[in-house]
Amino acid sequence: MGKAMNHREGSVMVLGGGIAGIQAALDLTELGYYVYLVEKSPAVGGVMAQLDKTFPTNDCSL
Amino acid sequence: MSDKQFNPRILGFLCNWCCYAAADAAGISRFQYPPNLRTIRVMCTGRVDPSFVLRGFIEGADAIFTGG
Amino acid sequence: MLTNADFLALAGEPGKFQAKINMRPRYIDADACTACGLCTQYCPKHQVDDYNEGLALTRPIHIDYAQAVPATYYIDPASCLHLQHDTCQICVPVCQSHAINFKQQPEERILEVGAVILSPGFGKIDTKVLEKFSYGKHPDVVTAFEYERMTTASGPFMGEIKCFSDGRHPRSMAFIQCVGSRDIGCNNGYCSSVCCMYAIKEALVTKEHDPEVDITIYYMDIRTQGKDFDAARERAEAIGIKFVRARVAGVTPWDKSLKLTYSTFDGQHKFVSHDLVVLSVGLESPKDAAKISQLTGVALNKYDFCATETFQPLQTSREGIIVAGAFQGPKDIPESVTQSSGAAALAAAVLRDQRGKGVVLKTYPDEQQVTPDDEVRVGVFVCHCGINISSVVDVADVAKYAGGMEGVTYYTESLYSCSQDAQEVLKQKIKEHKLNRVVIAACSPRTHEPLFQETLKDAGLNRNLFEMVNIRDQCSWVHANEPAAATDKSRDLVRMAVAKARHIQPLAEQTVPVTPRALILGGGVAGMTAALTLADQGYPSVLVEQGAQIGGNLQNLNYTLAGDQVAQHLKGLVDRIKKSKEIEVITNAELLQTAGFVGNFSSIIESGKGKTKKEQTVDHGVIVVATGGHEHRPDKYLLGQSKKVMTQMEFEKQLTGRAKNRAPGSIVMIQCAGSRGDDLSYCSKVCCNHALKNILKVKAINPDSQIIVLYRDMRAYGMAEDAYLEARKMGVVFIPYEVDRKPEVSQKSHQVQVSFFDSIMQEEVIMAPDLVVLSVGIVPDGTEKLSKLLKLPVTANNFFLEAHVKLRPVEMAVSGVYVCGLAHGPKPVDETIVQAQAAAAKAAIPLVKGFVTVDPIISCVDQDQCIGCGLCTSLCPYGAIEMKKVDKKRKAETITASCKACGICASHCPTFAISMGGFTNEQLISQIEAFGDRPKDMVEVA
Repeated sequence: MGKAMNHREGSVMVLGGGIAGIQAALDLTELGYYVYLVEKSPAVGGVMAQLDKTFPTNDCSL
Repeated sequence: MSDKQFNPRILGFLCNWCCYAAADAAGISRFQYPPNLRTIRVMCTGRVDPSFVLRGFIEGADAIFTGG
Repeated sequence: MLTNADFLALAGEPGKFQAKINMRPRYIDADACTACGLCTQYCPKHQVDDYNEGLALTRPIHIDYAQAVPATYYIDPASCLHLQHDTCQICVPVCQSHAINFKQQPEERILEVGAVILSPGFGKIDTKVLEKFSYGKHPDVVTAFEYERMTTASGPFMGEIKCFSDGRHPRSMAFIQCVGSRDIGCNNGYCSSVCCMYAIKEALVTKEHDPEVDITIYYMDIRTQGKDFDAARERAEAIGIKFVRARVAGVTPWDKSLKLTYSTFDGQHKFVSHDLVVLSVGLESPKDAAKISQLTGVALNKYDFCATETFQPLQTSREGIIVAGAFQGPKDIPESVTQSSGAAALAAAVLRDQRGKGVVLKTYPDEQQVTPDDEVRVGVFVCHCGINISSVVDVADVAKYAGGMEGVTYYTESLYSCSQDAQEVLKQKIKEHKLNRVVIAACSPRTHEPLFQETLKDAGLNRNLFEMVNIRDQCSWVHANEPAAATDKSRDLVRMAVAKARHIQPLAEQTVPVTPRALILGGGVAGMTAALTLADQGYPSVLVEQGAQIGGNLQNLNYTLAGDQVAQHLKGLVDRIKKSKEIEVITNAELLQTAGFVGNFSSIIESGKGKTKKEQTVDHGVIVVATGGHEHRPDKYLLGQSKKVMTQMEFEKQLTGRAKNRAPGSIVMIQCAGSRGDDLSYCSKVCCNHALKNILKVKAINPDSQIIVLYRDMRAYGMAEDAYLEARKMGVVFIPYEVDRKPEVSQKSHQVQVSFFDSIMQEEVIMAPDLVVLSVGIVPDGTEKLSKLLKLPVTANNFFLEAHVKLRPVEMAVSGVYVCGLAHGPKPVDETIVQAQAAAAKAAIPLVKGFVTVDPIISCVDQDQCIGCGLCTSLCPYGAIEMKKVDKKRKAETITASCKACGICASHCPTFAISMGGFTNEQLISQIEAFGDRPKDMVEVA
């Protein structure tokens, strides 16, 4: 997503970079839109990045 | 070593879409089974040429498993 | 991606918003930082590590975790000595890449955007609520979030579980459910919907770490209503985790351990001691919910979550602003992911005319030429997967063993080879060691091969020069108690993979154009929503409905728990479908046959009856499966035999009618009639709320009606908990029963009798109510037939199985096929709508791209060797090989787009003229040879 002009046609702001925000941003990118993913902390990932494994398959969450 | 239990070496050909997926599913649900199987993933068991099976026996397999 | 950024203001209107953002300085130049970590080592000041829930220390200059994106360190200005006291600056000369820049200033930016998606997540319960459980007073009382970090292999304790008080390993542990949820004391009347699942998960993980530890979960209702979630609960019970239905009054320090006081439902008070107590804390609305609401103008509900409606679950009160994730209401990962995809579809609809105008296409470096004559240089990467692999398999040994193999020029281990930083390492090593084959021993290629292949492309290597070894799903996980044998198996599998890798050749990518149309199977709310969502994005679809009219189960529903008038909404949907120029509806129709693959399907639809019966062919690029389900009618409880016994759906119909005694004076409701271990093994998710909805309706009509509900667990998750509380306040009696003591219904002269064991009074009770209402489950419609037709996997319960339970919840394993609604699993109407929107978002992706890339693992005929016998053509199950005249001779030729890569042609060709990309004879034979080529010293281990 990198550095960008501040106005691009067909862009969407996603507020919050947890799993929900990341997924929305990825889908929008694939659907042909430019996305600003705005996250208040220094890294995206949200709470899911803190999880060890996920229910019920106990897959790794990262 | 005469009292050693028979510990076969099994070579398996697993179909990517069913048996290989099932083997993954077994792992996800932590199903435990004996560690005697060595697998080769194929896109379909239709890929398994009879010569592969014979070759497996030549290479020392005690049994050949095809799952598809 | 704008991290470290605060949202300040929003102006404008849908299609033309201006958002003001404040970028706080990181004090580190992101482009220069290499994430080497030297600065953290030298930074002299300590601070509490929030990422590890305060369980560890870090420095003001740090990165939260190795896989963080962006992989750039940052300086916390609140604790940095230089930024606070103008001293220190040790980090500046330490940094080799001169990335540290204390001159960075906050920067305000105005973003012009067409739509906004709010996904700020959730907030945490105030620690004040936790005080009665001695949280903060005794170190061995922790929240589930803290416990999560404690069990994590990459966490501060490397996954070793210890009591903080004295470092001993806990012998007995308690999980306390509903802390800060279902608790009007802290104004959180709702159910957080995830805590039961994470408590069971953490309990199972604990047992994996230490099978001896004794674990008890104290609960009111176990709400594992999600798809296949009950199975995990049963697994937990099977390995000895105890479930006690009780309300915990408090926790107090007691000698070296903790005393937990609780009351059970039969009125007994008990106390018991535990070494470690984990509080299953709920999810709250985000701390800045009020501020977001103020800045954006979106309305909140009474618990400060974003207010939405049943039939528009993602639309906020302000047009152009969409919500997704836990801000819409507490929810788990799959539902958040589904909502996000749905939100993407809605945002795409707002901006349909601007699609593709602002995007930058990803470019790859030129592909490095690899010919059969080049020296083979294999790189082997063995993954620890946290402790998933390394707790069983000796990863170092496997990696070292791989290093000694022919052709292997580089080998290494990694903690998580799928992480972002590991991809960078992979790219770097490919270049550094001039690798031209990559073998990764980790998890399943079915889930992770595309990720690594993408990295290969980024490194300028053809993506087929890759082989994956599954030493997790098919090794460490299934041989957890035999580490030596598992290590041995890993060595064998790696050796076989390396042998195959030596013979891999690059394959050319092939692309095929996409037919921009969707085929949607099922005209219920899921199918209709999917069709409309696609139409809103500008894509046509063909909607195939088996019945005479569209509408599905909504036709049988009259009102919702939230008070919506269903008929009105249904009419709205049907009208929009009829008006839409993009949607063609075929009723009384059935799918007979589908051929092709993503982007280029061709299906035959049969429609009409008798003389009007006809068949038509539809070409389409994607398929949305929304075939729905129906009420399961158990052949017991006198259902269908007595007029006094009916299902909730029938009762709802009666309640909306005009009959005088439609809400009789005494009613017994039986939950899980036919579900959860009865005829059906699973929970149908909607029945508890359906019962509550009807109860409130009865009470509105006839306030004197006496209602008894016999239940297993009342699964009034999310905001439905309010209705459960309201029903109890109105005097409705809820009595739990055990699965081995199910209520019985019998006929005695004109009366219907219900006999059950009252677990509260501890006695057998026989009643003769005016009406018995059964909460029956949901079964899917025709999934068995469709699964054969489209080759889609189903679960043990005959629902369609999604590609990945967490991360790809609406996609199927077959690409180009998406699932939503009851065909995927039982769910209420709002979740169905979201899922349909998500399926429409995913289905639109190939349609937007306009072409699909064909996996180059298909068959290829060497026409010089082909003798034109035609055996392959007759055997191919997909009609993907045709005979052609080439120089007057008959030769076989593969139809690229139709080939499924099964390889039947290759294994039957008498002249070995057909080879399969990625699975050539040479590659497979060498893999078989490597199977036999075991070093002598290894034979004894097996």
